[in-house]
Amino acid sequence: MLDSKIPSGPIEKKWTQRKFENKLVNPANRRKHTVLVVGTGLAGASAAASLAEQGYKVKVFTYHESPRRAHSIAAQGGINAAKNYQNDGDSVQRLFYDTIKGGDYRAREANVYRLAEVSVNIIDQCVAQGVPFAREYGGTLTNRSFGGTQVSRTFYARGQTGQQLLLGAYSSLMRQVGDNTVELFTRHEMLDLITVDGKARGIVTRDLKTGEITNHTGDAVILATGGYGNVFFLSTNAKASNVTASWRAHKRGAYMANPCFTQIHPTCIPVSGDHQSKLTLMSESLRNDGRVWVPKKTGDNRGPLEISEDERDYFLERMYPAFGNLVPRDVASRAAKRMCDEGRGVGSSKLSVYLDFAESIQRMGESKVREKYGNLFQMYEKITDENPYKVPMRIYPAVHYVMGGLWVDYNLMSNIPGLFVLGEANFSDHGANRLGASALMQGLADGYFIAPYSVGNYIGGEKLASIKSDHEAVKATTQAVKERIESFKKVNGNQSAETLHRKLGKIMWDHCGMARNEKGLKEAIQQIKTLKEEFWSTLWVPQDDRCLSSEIEKAGRVADFIELGELMCIDALERRESCGGHFREEMQTPEGETLRDDANYSHVAAWEFMGDKPKLHKEPLNFEFAHIAQRNYK
Amino acid sequence: MKLNLKIWRQNGPSAPGNFVDYHVDHVSPDMSFLEMLDVLNVSLVNKKETPIEFDHDCREGICGSCSLMINGNAHGPETGTATCQLHMRRFKEGDTIVIEPWRAKAFPVIKDLSTDRTAFDRIMAAGGFVSVNTGNAPEANSILVGHDTAESAMDSAACIGCGACVASCKNSSAMLFVSAKVSHLAQLPQGHPERAKRVRGMVTQMDQEGFGNCSNTGACEAACPKEITLENIAQLNREIVRAVFKD
Amino acid sequence: MAHLKTFLKSSVGRKFLVGLTGLGLSGFVLTHMAGNMLMFVGPEAYNTYGHKLTSTPLIYLAEAGLLAMFVVHMGLALKLALENKQARGTGPSQNASNCEKNARFGSRYMALTGILVLAFIVLHLISFKYGTYYSVNYQGVEMRDLHRLVVEKFKSPLYSGWYLFSMIVLFVHLAHGFSAAFQSLGFFSVRNCLIKKIGWAFALLVAGGFFIQPIYGYFYGGN
Repeated sequence: MLDSKIPSGPIEKKWTQRKFENKLVNPANRRKHTVLVVGTGLAGASAAASLAEQGYKVKVFTYHESPRRAHSIAAQGGINAAKNYQNDGDSVQRLFYDTIKGGDYRAREANVYRLAEVSVNIIDQCVAQGVPFAREYGGTLTNRSFGGTQVSRTFYARGQTGQQLLLGAYSSLMRQVGDNTVELFTRHEMLDLITVDGKARGIVTRDLKTGEITNHTGDAVILATGGYGNVFFLSTNAKASNVTASWRAHKRGAYMANPCFTQIHPTCIPVSGDHQSKLTLMSESLRNDGRVWVPKKTGDNRGPLEISEDERDYFLERMYPAFGNLVPRDVASRAAKRMCDEGRGVGSSKLSVYLDFAESIQRMGESKVREKYGNLFQMYEKITDENPYKVPMRIYPAVHYVMGGLWVDYNLMSNIPGLFVLGEANFSDHGANRLGASALMQGLADGYFIAPYSVGNYIGGEKLASIKSDHEAVKATTQAVKERIESFKKVNGNQSAETLHRKLGKIMWDHCGMARNEKGLKEAIQQIKTLKEEFWSTLWVPQDDRCLSSEIEKAGRVADFIELGELMCIDALERRESCGGHFREEMQTPEGETLRDDANYSHVAAWEFMGDKPKLHKEPLNFEFAHIAQRNYK
Repeated sequence: MKLNLKIWRQNGPSAPGNFVDYHVDHVSPDMSFLEMLDVLNVSLVNKKETPIEFDHDCREGICGSCSLMINGNAHGPETGTATCQLHMRRFKEGDTIVIEPWRAKAFPVIKDLSTDRTAFDRIMAAGGFVSVNTGNAPEANSILVGHDTAESAMDSAACIGCGACVASCKNSSAMLFVSAKVSHLAQLPQGHPERAKRVRGMVTQMDQEGFGNCSNTGACEAACPKEITLENIAQLNREIVRAVFKD
Repeated sequence: MAHLKTFLKSSVGRKFLVGLTGLGLSGFVLTHMAGNMLMFVGPEAYNTYGHKLTSTPLIYLAEAGLLAMFVVHMGLALKLALENKQARGTGPSQNASNCEKNARFGSRYMALTGILVLAFIVLHLISFKYGTYYSVNYQGVEMRDLHRLVVEKFKSPLYSGWYLFSMIVLFVHLAHGFSAAFQSLGFFSVRNCLIKKIGWAFALLVAGGFFIQPIYGYFYGGN
């Protein structure tokens, strides 16, 4: 039975209660404890800096050449916080409720409440670090609104909010590196988790520059390794984003929760050809001022400017008058897909819809639009060679974020004691759909304000004998990693990992993407099994692994993605309901909206690795404080 | 579209390097420059040849990983654009494109087109921060920052740390990178208590890393994908004079 | 004091000194050029001016200051230039780089133009300061007839040619150096169009002022 360790008492007292119950470690003793942090995005960098500030010895690992390159940097639109600076009725309670509802009642209530509660501290912390958030002329912070909410609570730094927040966390981290309280390992990829007596005690890494395999031991391991959206090959994730750290932990016993919960983001730049290597997101904030439309007529081949106002269908405004263009992401994505399925898609591929700024430009002037979205417009123009100030943008949904991830309890610890999972890598806060500007909030909440308490509590409550690198478990795990790299070299086929990855991506997008059904998922599972065999018989990597070799890096990641893809399909098949980003075609309302089955599926599906047949553990979700209802954005 | 590529291949930091010629066919104008290299790499793997290493990650111009000298220009011919955002429509049939890594003593080549830019991290560790421990922060709106000041600080803070400024400078000076951070934090009230210490620390580290000196050539500004301006360097110069008289 | 040491040892601090001495030297060339303009008034005005300058004991102080500025300016600038060459390292881009092309025109040749200007100064001192001593008497005051020496020198096409060439070099050096000094001192940025224009105007004024003198000397011989 999974114990989520939620504190008792009323929801607004739970986190205070837990902080009080937590065991502490004497400041003088903290430096005797080593914490290993994997990943330097918002969650990893902030956790590492905060733990080092508390006095722990911290070792930080990233496969990037610098912590600042982590993919949090690419988040554009903003970060939510219940500051109610706009005096429009926001509160912790409302942010909590919006997030639970936005997640289609598949998130853990207590976690979400805590997230809303600490959101206000995040803004304070980031401002103090010098993050240049947008300001009013009077000098106070300004906000914009985002999908799924009716208040303005999103703080932003142009279209580069993720960059500025990450640079803030990175600067805190580098300050600790300069003070020698953090040891930084760049271009080091975690390839396995070391467990001793069932507890997480270390990791095995590969130095990407030299190929050297080494192990690092400590008292706790934090995974802040991001999401696995790249299982679809084409996603808005960075090229190197991968599941390997999480998957290795999963294979060592950590449960993977709700792996099929994927977020498809409605506003991405459409695919332009077979060579496409990744998709580019246009911030959701664009939907504040842009209007989404398609022609009313099917098969209308005229250019957008030739289609008159009354021949256009502003379908989001028509279908969801209360939220209009600002409906949650899953709803907007599915609506766009439906328009394209009806044959009203635009562009040469007919797989896109318009996002039109003509009205906003007329209303507030081109210069104001430029100030708000300038860099996004510029990015769009660079990629498509079209000027969005003149012709409407074309957008289409793309994989963007995964709500699923390693299972964690209220303390963000997985079922392996001593293994903490933060940020997108865990499953906890967004249920079946994440609201815009909430990922940055969650990453920083986990890293700055939750993990530093939970890790202390764990270390304070355990008697952990020191582990040396000659320990049997350490040696065995290190050996296993070396053998795995040899096994890639041995295949000696003629396909690159990337070619195989594209094949996996197509299977996943076709059958486990925006719409899923039983037949397709079963088919996908078979296809993935075949692909796995193909991988292990046709892969080719250079034989020299003692130097920088992205082929060897990719091979390891793709091998793990293939296994993950299968689990995602199994999970999607098992969940016979539609909720949030998980849309089972068999389960929908007559209007084509998601149809939840609260009686049978109000639980977290946590999968245990068991070779070919993963074992399902269910954590029931109890909604004591949020009133459970059908989502309605009409 | 058919293109000839001359690509720098170098096996390791101390190995000698040389240009190798490659021919690519079927290049679509909609491809990004890196996608063109992806296609080349896949074809090399199919022939069991070691593909070309190059740094890249987000491919939307914000992570700062990509770093190619294209026909002698850092990030290629287009202004305000990182390599990953450069598209093949900027080239024409039959063009010869020379692709090299960043060149500076402080950025040693790791392999092929990939260089080690950790010197930037060490400069940041020497002062590129505001010392505020988690939990120490005052209420956000208690620190007022005027709209224009915030915007101007943001202009400086937009730096992605790619190193194009260093690569494009005939002196391999890191002044644009360092000055962007110094002036971002010098403009904001949060940065003021450590203003002098910061600029001294960062400049000292910059010199130790072996970067050259600024001779106001302006090449960095022209190459910067985020269009960080030379005004930041002027500000750094002011800051360091000011720091003589402050603790 | 420790902060001053850090400053002076840093690349930015040294560059600051190069800029500061550069501006000092710019001031010198400007006044020198202006003084020489008396050539157009006539030999008497020209020689009297020279006599007044050299007969005050303050001249030794000024010369010492000038020499110090030259030494600091050139010493530091050359050291920085050598460091820069080292920082560039060796590597692939040696042949194909556009770095040079991307740099502002004058900025590419500061070391070269600086060395040429130095060569000019040395020859200039030999020709005039330590050149033939002609004497002349105005209203009973015995003084050096520098005007005669200058005209004599300018009559030589070779000398005038070298002089004109040097002034073009000085122009290139000043056109970048003057505005860049303000950037190094942190006053303005060289991006600022105004300071760029002022820099060009200053260089044009100084180099142009010097430029017309040999032409005048060659064709009109001062008569």
